Amino acid sequence: MGSHAKAWLVEDESAREMLDRVLTERPFLLLPPLHRVPLRVGNVVELVGPSSSSKTHILIQAAITCILPKLWKGVSYGGLGHSAMFIDLDCRFDVLRFSELLNHRIMEAANGSSSKVGCHQKDSEAQFERMKPYNEELFALCMKRFLYIRCYDSSEFLATLKTLHYRLQKEREVHGVNVHLLLIDSIGAFHWVDRGSSSFPLECDNRKSWHLQNVSEAVVQEIRRLLLVHPMLVMATKAVVLGNKYSTNELTWNYRKWSAVDNPYSRNITSSDQQLPYREYMPAAWQSFVTHRILVRATDDDLVNGEHQNNSIYLLKWLLPPLNSLDKFTVRDTGVFILS
Amino acid sequence: MARLANLETEYPVLDSTVRNFCASHGIFSAAFAEQNNSSERLKEGIAQVLSIIDDMHQPWLNGMELLEDAKRNKHVFPTGIQGIDLLLGGGIRVGQLTELVGPSSSGKTQVCLRTASNVARNHLVLYLDTGNSFSPQRIAYFLGKTINPSSAQAKNQFLQKVMSNISCHSVFDIFAMFDVLHQLESYLRCQDGRGGCQMRLLIVDSISSLISPVLGSSSTQGRALMTSAGYLLKKLAHQHNLAVLIINHTVGGEGGYSKPALGDSWKCIPHSRLFLSCDRGSNNYNVSILRHPSMASGKAARFVI
Repeated sequence: MGSHAKAWLVEDESAREMLDRVLTERPFLLLPPLHRVPLRVGNVVELVGPSSSSKTHILIQAAITCILPKLWKGVSYGGLGHSAMFIDLDCRFDVLRFSELLNHRIMEAANGSSSKVGCHQKDSEAQFERMKPYNEELFALCMKRFLYIRCYDSSEFLATLKTLHYRLQKEREVHGVNVHLLLIDSIGAFHWVDRGSSSFPLECDNRKSWHLQNVSEAVVQEIRRLLLVHPMLVMATKAVVLGNKYSTNELTWNYRKWSAVDNPYSRNITSSDQQLPYREYMPAAWQSFVTHRILVRATDDDLVNGEHQNNSIYLLKWLLPPLNSLDKFTVRDTGVFILS
Repeated sequence: MARLANLETEYPVLDSTVRNFCASHGIFSAAFAEQNNSSERLKEGIAQVLSIIDDMHQPWLNGMELLEDAKRNKHVFPTGIQGIDLLLGGGIRVGQLTELVGPSSSGKTQVCLRTASNVARNHLVLYLDTGNSFSPQRIAYFLGKTINPSSAQAKNQFLQKVMSNISCHSVFDIFAMFDVLHQLESYLRCQDGRGGCQMRLLIVDSISSLISPVLGSSSTQGRALMTSAGYLLKKLAHQHNLAVLIINHTVGGEGGYSKPALGDSWKCIPHSRLFLSCDRGSNNYNVSILRHPSMASGKAARFVI
């Protein structure tokens, strides 16, 4: 009996060893354009913005970074080598665009490494030709790590979340890969449908009614349970309409208001995160579940690229944790490119 | 989600032992099953419940399977109008909702009729008409422009064949449209996999006249109906490989310029949005991209019908 009690007190590892272990198994992620705050598993990140503000693109960028391997046949791709799961509630995912972006990233990494060695022009072309079958093999390997599902209503979404644990266990047993990233495109997609159906009561008394709050609470509960057993980084997008209570005349967001220091509005943003520049419509269960929040929007400026492409410039602002800086970025074929 | 007792007839594994076990954990319906390692029978029961829930959602696909499906099924159909086809890089895509927005008389119905006449040569087309704007004469005119002058009889036969591929339904409110779409869904579920002429184009002219009457600002039912209609169209487009073309009107916005009707909640539903306008007094039309999955918005082109 005494030895059992003593066994509890013997240490397993020192704090430094634990820190080393945790940092290698669960590294911090710096995903552009979200590079200001390091993200790790267990975080729930919400990307907020009006329609057409590149939110889905940021998710796709994160997925590609996750599924690329760190090192493959001598070329460093800088990825994580884990699986990524994409739950498409918006049902607007374009797989052809996704595969284009993945190919561009692979070729950029391959070209980058060959140019580093300092090859002659002819040599690098021959090397590129040799790399082509490698690229296809790598492409297939990465695409198989990307898991996708569409949900056409809330009950399909809940059914997906409830069976996700067993799906992940099966993936781990069969393929031996861990899922590191859970992406949800448009968490508020069924908001109106769920609000509309709350007026239909079900026959039984002991069952919960199909209410917007209940659905949201069930979703949060399922994801929380999932995160206990399969630690992942959760990223969700949310479409909102920009506009604030203070300037009811102006429905368009004014860029100058963000950067002026002596503007009383900008002081409100940094002091408390209750003064949001948009109307929050998700129930409190989801709002309190989110650990990081980012606002993106498109500006009217275009970046003339020299080719025929005009890429629009997007603005990004961290709302939770509230940072004072504004990031500008643009979207290219090889991914997100930070401008300032 | 069904009660476990009701499911026993279908799945005999879910007998009273399993149900008692589930009841002791507070599980009364198929939605709340949990894992436990006590007995084989229980394991079977739990596995059965899980597979029932698994059937309630779409299957998981990996990236390669998605890509194969896109390359095999999700083709691009040319509209027959050169300016638009060049702008969109081929035409409208199967599996996606393309919305045509514009003020009245900006050529939206004409573009739809032209696309219908083009696709109907080889596939079936369904045209949902809300304002009696479908015109068989116009379709015959478009077809007549493109076939070689051969014998009148051969021409007639060709016209007959193509026109019989287009079916036109008049719908005057949103519930009638839901009816037609649900019937279409059951029809397509039987048809898929069988050979022969398949339906590949669905045109709704115009969806704003169906949704605007129910979209009052006080009730939420209107927006719920609008979102459900959008998702039903997306489901039909993706699962049965249809290209969907929707027509929307414009309303006045701030600053005097016009913006698409149906508000901000509708913005997230179509995959691509094209803005059409007409030069006054001529046959020249302008089209510009408001939103596209792979092209920058703002690109514009001109076309002639």
